[in-house]
Amino acid sequence: MSGIRKPIQTLLAVALVASLLLAACGGGGGESAEPIKIGAIHDLTGPTSDVGTPYAEGLKGYVAWRNENGGINGRPIELISADYGYKVDVAEQLYTQYVQEGVVAFQGWGTGDTEALRSRIAADKIPFMSASYSANLLDMEAAPYNFMIGTSYSDQAIIALRWAMDDWKSAGNDGAPKVAFIHHDSPFGKSPVPDAQAFAEANGIAFTAIPMPKGVTDYVAELAQAQQFGANYIIVHTVSSPAAVLVKDAQSQGLKDSIKFINLNWCADEIFIELAGDAAEGVVGAIPFTPPSSPVPGHEEPDNWLKAQGSSLTEKGLHYSQGWWTMAVMAEGVRRVLDAGEELNGENLRAALEGIKDFDTGGVTAPISFSSTSHKGNSALRLFQVQNGQWVQISDYISASP
Amino acid sequence: MESGIFHTTYRADMVLRRTHAQKARIVLLVAFVLAFPFFASRYGLTLANQVGIATIGAIGLNILVGYTGQISLGQGGFMAVGAYTAGILTARLGMPWYASTLVACLVTALVGAIFGIPSLRLKGLYLAIATLAAQEIIIWVVTHWEVVTGGVDALVVPNPMLFGVQMNTDFRFYWVVWGLAGLTALFTVNLFRTRYGRAFIAIRDQDIAAQVMGVDLFRYKLLAFAISSFFVGLAGALIAHYRNIVTWERFTIDVSVLYLAMIIIGGLGSVSGSFFGAAFMTLLPAALTNMSRALKNSIPVIDAVIPFIQQATFGLVIILFLIFEPEGLRKMWQDLKDYFRLWPFSY
Repeated sequence: MSGIRKPIQTLLAVALVASLLLAACGGGGGESAEPIKIGAIHDLTGPTSDVGTPYAEGLKGYVAWRNENGGINGRPIELISADYGYKVDVAEQLYTQYVQEGVVAFQGWGTGDTEALRSRIAADKIPFMSASYSANLLDMEAAPYNFMIGTSYSDQAIIALRWAMDDWKSAGNDGAPKVAFIHHDSPFGKSPVPDAQAFAEANGIAFTAIPMPKGVTDYVAELAQAQQFGANYIIVHTVSSPAAVLVKDAQSQGLKDSIKFINLNWCADEIFIELAGDAAEGVVGAIPFTPPSSPVPGHEEPDNWLKAQGSSLTEKGLHYSQGWWTMAVMAEGVRRVLDAGEELNGENLRAALEGIKDFDTGGVTAPISFSSTSHKGNSALRLFQVQNGQWVQISDYISASP
Repeated sequence: MESGIFHTTYRADMVLRRTHAQKARIVLLVAFVLAFPFFASRYGLTLANQVGIATIGAIGLNILVGYTGQISLGQGGFMAVGAYTAGILTARLGMPWYASTLVACLVTALVGAIFGIPSLRLKGLYLAIATLAAQEIIIWVVTHWEVVTGGVDALVVPNPMLFGVQMNTDFRFYWVVWGLAGLTALFTVNLFRTRYGRAFIAIRDQDIAAQVMGVDLFRYKLLAFAISSFFVGLAGALIAHYRNIVTWERFTIDVSVLYLAMIIIGGLGSVSGSFFGAAFMTLLPAALTNMSRALKNSIPVIDAVIPFIQQATFGLVIILFLIFEPEGLRKMWQDLKDYFRLWPFSY
């Protein structure tokens, strides 16, 4: 037994020296104006990398575009970021590293890391945005520095229910429809269930929530459960590949004619259409970020930027503009702090973000407003439907709160 | 001039630290551990705390796998038991964090012993599958027993307070983690100088021979599961209190595999090996991330492929380590020490 004598010294010192050296290199970029440091973590290699990669490219693309156009009041944005592979431990490491390097704001990614970091975020006073739209993050006491750009999952589910009620009536039916909510079995998937259930009960909708088990190759059993329940509509809240399997199963079971599918945002994108093929036709999507197939003015800047690099927004898909506009809202907050001539720190940035009212994203999202009592950017979105392999707009903005 | 360590008395054989160099090193190590947080950055402390928690978990697993020879793929599940027990007792019943941590260790020990029952009949790969079942059953229970665990939702744990001071800042929690890691190491090193520890090793080396010599296999195997799970539960409880939040996603089968990798790379049946493995598996990805950041600044073109190079390098380094030193990092450290101590007459 050789006990516990070990070169922790060497290992930690190497990591430490490396990070200090890097911080020193990163700091003196030769810019005349001091850069604005924003930290970010991306999933480029983990389980959500299919959507995480275009989102990360959108964040980076906006920063590059903004810097090329003079930065924020002449100061460039310095995005310090790395891949974390959807591992919460790594997210924690990168977060503390970047906070130590003096980032004023942070762009996160998933529900797991955003929830795990929220108490640190509050203690460090770092305004934080992520691509997780879980309503838990809107609790102003537990998560005072989290801001949400997209429509929350709860609101998405309520909007889907609202649309289902209208659609049910306009088809000449009486009463209220029966709705099954099939969801990813995780905090991400389950977060809208209580709010959706409460809304359904208040409106006389028969509602059931069915989790999608992990590690199965088909969802025939879950569909049978929904069918037995007598569902007229199925709201799907998962990511694209299981959602594609689900609608393919529904098609092969002959359920697509009797049941309408409404996908919430993480399974309503170009990837879903590509994977589901024919089975995607007719599926409705509750999409807070307008897809490039329905061009709006807010797509032009990212599209032009991408075209200059030999790509296009159509190629990158809606998650690119999602990342782009998330960063744009953060930049707007920074601009307001600088315009007011205040010191750029987390508290001032939070106050500036809370002052944003009806920020126009060029139609990519409903206008975004924050206040000191709510960090929910908006509560409305438009519905889209897959027609001939493309997302086509089928409604105007529907709000979750009438 | 030495050429090796030789004992002339049983007493000398039982001594933990045999040479002056060993004694000096342990003093240096303790001094370093005590001084580190005063010089380290917050990032350094976060890494140190993650290494500390992983060390406790890896020592726990090593007691079972490395010392007793009972392979386990249930590590993630047992950590979940510890984390959820501690989290629920503190969040729902308002129990102080130190008390809930202790209860969590005891509950995990009990659960570990129950899932250890198949080990009496099963060995090797068959036991691996039985413990894999434990992993899956525990995670299934955690995600479906909603009344108690909150199901798949995140369980929020209040900040651990001690005399009105919030303990889970990186600096303060460092003392908790490394204090407990020190106790765990001390307990384990000494465990294998007792009748119980010797019985565990006898079971690992030849279970039938051990039985013939009077080792009660059933009792000692369950005891190994219980002691191992006690420390694994401790690691889980520390994660709950450190991070204020418990979700099942942190305790999947990946975690079980990661910890097995830690003890294999670090060195099976060794306390220092558990630490080496935990530090290696935590710090290597962090070092790779920092290295790739430096590369990104000098060669911006490879920005897009860096994450993949990083993943490939991680895998490659592990494979190379295993090829060139199958006995783990512990053996490399041993060889290095021997080289200098015995020079020029080592053989």
